[in-house]
Amino acid sequence: MIPLALPAQSDGITPYVTRLRRKRTDHPEDSWCLMSTEVKSLWCGAHGLVEIDYSADALEGDVILVNPAAKRIERMLRSGSRHNSLLITERCDQLCLMCSQPPKKSHVDRFDLLHKACLLAEPSATIGISGGEPTLYKARLFEMVEQVLQARPDLSFHILSNGQHFCADDIPRLSDSLWHKVIWGIPIYAATAVLHDRIVGKTDAYERLHESFDYLLLSGARLELRTVLLADNIADLPALAGRISILLSHAEQWSLMGLENIGFARNRWPELYFDLRSGFTQVGEALDIAMLNGLNARLFNVPLCHIPPAYRHHGVASISDWKQRFAPKCTGCAGKSDCSGFFEWHPDELLNQVSPI
Amino acid sequence: MTAPTGRFFSASTDLMTRLTSQALTDTDKQWLEAHGFLAVSPLAKHAQKFMKARRRTQATPLDYLILVPTLRCNLACSYCQVSRADERAVGFDWNAQTLAAVQRLVRTLDGPAAKIEFQGGEPTLRPDLIRAVIEAAPASTSMTYVICTNLQVINEEILEIFDRDDVQISTSLDADLMTHSRQRQSDIAKTKQFLANLDQLLARYGPSKISALPTIDSRSPPDVDDLIEEYKSRGLTSIYLRPVNFQGFARKRHPHAKSQDKSWDDYYERFLFSLIERNWSEQSGAVLEETYFSHLLKRIFRPGQDRHVDLRNPNPIGRDYVVIDHDGRAYPSDEARMLARSGIIDLSIGDVLTGWDTPERYALEQAATSFGDPACDSCAYQPYCGRDIVDDIARYGTVDLPRHETEFCRRHMHLFDFAFRMIYSNDEAIQYSLKRWLGLASDAVSLGMKR
Repeated sequence: MIPLALPAQSDGITPYVTRLRRKRTDHPEDSWCLMSTEVKSLWCGAHGLVEIDYSADALEGDVILVNPAAKRIERMLRSGSRHNSLLITERCDQLCLMCSQPPKKSHVDRFDLLHKACLLAEPSATIGISGGEPTLYKARLFEMVEQVLQARPDLSFHILSNGQHFCADDIPRLSDSLWHKVIWGIPIYAATAVLHDRIVGKTDAYERLHESFDYLLLSGARLELRTVLLADNIADLPALAGRISILLSHAEQWSLMGLENIGFARNRWPELYFDLRSGFTQVGEALDIAMLNGLNARLFNVPLCHIPPAYRHHGVASISDWKQRFAPKCTGCAGKSDCSGFFEWHPDELLNQVSPI
Repeated sequence: MTAPTGRFFSASTDLMTRLTSQALTDTDKQWLEAHGFLAVSPLAKHAQKFMKARRRTQATPLDYLILVPTLRCNLACSYCQVSRADERAVGFDWNAQTLAAVQRLVRTLDGPAAKIEFQGGEPTLRPDLIRAVIEAAPASTSMTYVICTNLQVINEEILEIFDRDDVQISTSLDADLMTHSRQRQSDIAKTKQFLANLDQLLARYGPSKISALPTIDSRSPPDVDDLIEEYKSRGLTSIYLRPVNFQGFARKRHPHAKSQDKSWDDYYERFLFSLIERNWSEQSGAVLEETYFSHLLKRIFRPGQDRHVDLRNPNPIGRDYVVIDHDGRAYPSDEARMLARSGIIDLSIGDVLTGWDTPERYALEQAATSFGDPACDSCAYQPYCGRDIVDDIARYGTVDLPRHETEFCRRHMHLFDFAFRMIYSNDEAIQYSLKRWLGLASDAVSLGMKR
């Protein structure tokens, strides 16, 4: 697993953002490497010195957040990675059964630091925004996205949201062509309000979600729909595929996502997890309905050997580099390079449920 | 019942009566709403509008060029659509000025992807011009080159171009040796050479790089199974069945082609049923398809299938694709170029030196829509159908005809009737092929709703 946070010592006082460079540059936000061993590196910049417990080779080009008091750094935008995601808040107004990052009550506003990090991103990068629920701080979020895109038109954003907070007033703003560089990743878990609301743990969430979908459609917003595969909603997937092809055919992608064994899902694994090897019928039917109607449906976080051959082209090697792992048995599998593999935290006893292709 | 969104269902007579007399029950309304035919919520209303709009072709920036570097050809096929020039003729190739202008044009293809098709004449007579075009393409654009060739002559220089990963080969394979030779007015030895070349390339690249299509003379069409076998035995699974086109030389030699009668429709259906039987009885093998029928099916079920430029509505002219002839003239389609070549009517819209944002382009584009046409506006197939004004002009010398009296309409009416008969067929074998042609992996999903 690639570490995202590292122990570090610095002489700064308040948290700051800087970009790590091997050699000295003219950029005021860069820190350059003074020395490096296999386990430590020392960097110097306008904010002072920072010593990180990691070799410079692996950090070169990263945009990091230095937190002197906590004696650590966060690798906010890792150089060369397609999986960079910035956390806006840990608060959320939904409480999903399988939440991988259970929400917290407290919130620390880091927008100024996030904003600075975005401006230092690599050319043409796509920056993920997640939470908690980022649109709980909609005003600050919109402002940051717009300002960053004005300064850096080469960048794009992918923002995960529960779709509970868009309103009619957002339409003129989100209609601006600036927002063509933003794609919203929004979950929809079922074809009925009762089931969806139960999964997200919020009354009337489904109705509010559809209201948001309407505002986003009227804004010409780009949309990715996300559905986590659960024992609860498997049977509902064909109906959901039908519903999406009628109401949400403008979505650029429908991502069906395997369950992550982390957060709430860890303790609820036996009742939430659906083993696709025991029955692919409903997922297959949903994929076929999507295909028939021209929806781009993809299967995320599911190892290829859990997908019947006729549907494997829907599978995506999706698990982010820093949290991907394979089973010992995967060595030598012909599908490995196209396979999602497993999450780093997938339990050892489940890991070997693979059958090499 | 079809909706402007393209969604459709088969309605019972009772439901039709209630629909037309505005006597829908609450249960009717619930069903119609759940299946996308009645919009109640704001999201449903806007989604329906969006789907309806997606059934109209949206013209994208130029990303598809058909180039004719030379009109010369080393064959003289009986149906040749392009009034080709003799192989030794002079003055039928791009001159230096035209080539420079084509290269300038190619440099502007800076979108994510673009396609350039080399037509002729026989483009492989000028590999130097093909290379000059390829060299001009922006490095950042994902290019596909299609070389439409009779494969009569292959040499090292041509192979070097074919070897490129971004090059596809397209050729004609009319059926068996005799049919192919007859239609090409060519001797058997030449046809044998072509078949040897085709098989050599198939061995070298496999079937995915090569497409072939048969041109069918419906007076004496080849035996359906022989034709399929010619393709299948070579691993070619997509067959684009085309009737002799009423243009170019074909106009002079095949006057009957003006109105293809029922015999073509019958042949086409026999061909489709043969594919269906083969797919059903050999389910482990590769799925065979008729290219145009698969495209029609996709247009029925999915919006945005607008890259087949002869079947879309409205049909943007000289926007996302254009044809540049051997003399630099720009045409809205290859058929339009052929009409000019045959001296029937000049449908050029400009030229590669000065551009084609001209009154001619505008005039053609204004007519290239089925919206507002009384016959089309009342037709159930309008969301799926297209408007091909060049075909109308070729046949009738005018675009101003009652639409249902045109061959384009007659042919497509038959195709869509046929497609919907198949969609609602209970025959397992038919359903099996339809679902494969639509890219579905299993047979669980029902294609046609009924109420």
